[in-house]
Amino acid sequence: MKVAARLFVIVIFMAVVISGSMFIKVKAESNGLTLQQIEQVRSNCVSIKNTINQLHVSDALLRVNMGQRYELVSTKLMDRFNGRIISNNLKADGLISASEKYKNNLNEFRDSYKIYEESLSSAMRMDCQSQPSELYDVLMIVRDNRSRVYGNVKLLVKQIDQYRSEVDRFETTFKAGQGQL
Amino acid sequence: MDDNQMISEKKSFLDGRRFIILIIAALIISFILLLISLSLYNFSGAAQLDLSRPGYVEVRNKTVDSSSDFKNYPNYGAIDQAAIDEFKTLYDEQAQVIKVADAFKNDPLNPIELTTSPSPDTSF
Repeated sequence: MKVAARLFVIVIFMAVVISGSMFIKVKAESNGLTLQQIEQVRSNCVSIKNTINQLHVSDALLRVNMGQRYELVSTKLMDRFNGRIISNNLKADGLISASEKYKNNLNEFRDSYKIYEESLSSAMRMDCQSQPSELYDVLMIVRDNRSRVYGNVKLLVKQIDQYRSEVDRFETTFKAGQGQL
Repeated sequence: MDDNQMISEKKSFLDGRRFIILIIAALIISFILLLISLSLYNFSGAAQLDLSRPGYVEVRNKTVDSSSDFKNYPNYGAIDQAAIDEFKTLYDEQAQVIKVADAFKNDPLNPIELTTSPSPDTSF
């Protein structure tokens, strides 16, 4: 019985020590905002909330409008041009490869935006008066997620150019009469 | 005799509550289907595209149906110089729109802008 009691005390002690060290670690990993910066977040609370609310709405619209256009470039132009070339028994390897890369990146864009929107929504639910430091941390994560979305957009633009270069290459080959299988 | 009595008791239990059990079962099944559909709605990314949600009233009518100004390139027919030129014209037109938009380029969550500026520009 005594052994069990001692064991219980040891387990409790270890639990307290471990959770305490984790708490300290979390604090150490915090953004290290100065009191002045925390106060700045508090004093700009309304403005920050407005910004993230506006951003949430404007980015949703942007996602719908531009996402639709990115999708249509793939389905209504690239796929159709590739299909037409193949149906004419011509080589379209470079074009198919370029359009596949574009599609993969388009899927990544969708995933990145989803992650970004979820993080932004969680920031919107936070209270900047009572949790200014935590809100700042989350907003920096949101910013990082948004820059990833932009990274995907930049890559999409680059891949649009790559596909266009492949079209020019195909045209040159076609003109030279080497496109026939 | 006892067995027969038990069977008749069981039957009478079901007979008396059959309608209630049916309603409860229907409610449970519909609740499970509701949970499945909600999780699909959230995890598929459809929620992010749904502007009918509360909070999007002001931008709901600003969505553009790109398919209306997007001319389909015919996926059949011979390939000749005219067909290639037609594709290039359509493609360049759309590529230009995408490049000009340069979506998500701005950085409204920049810490300096966020904590000092009263109303940062949130347009792209």
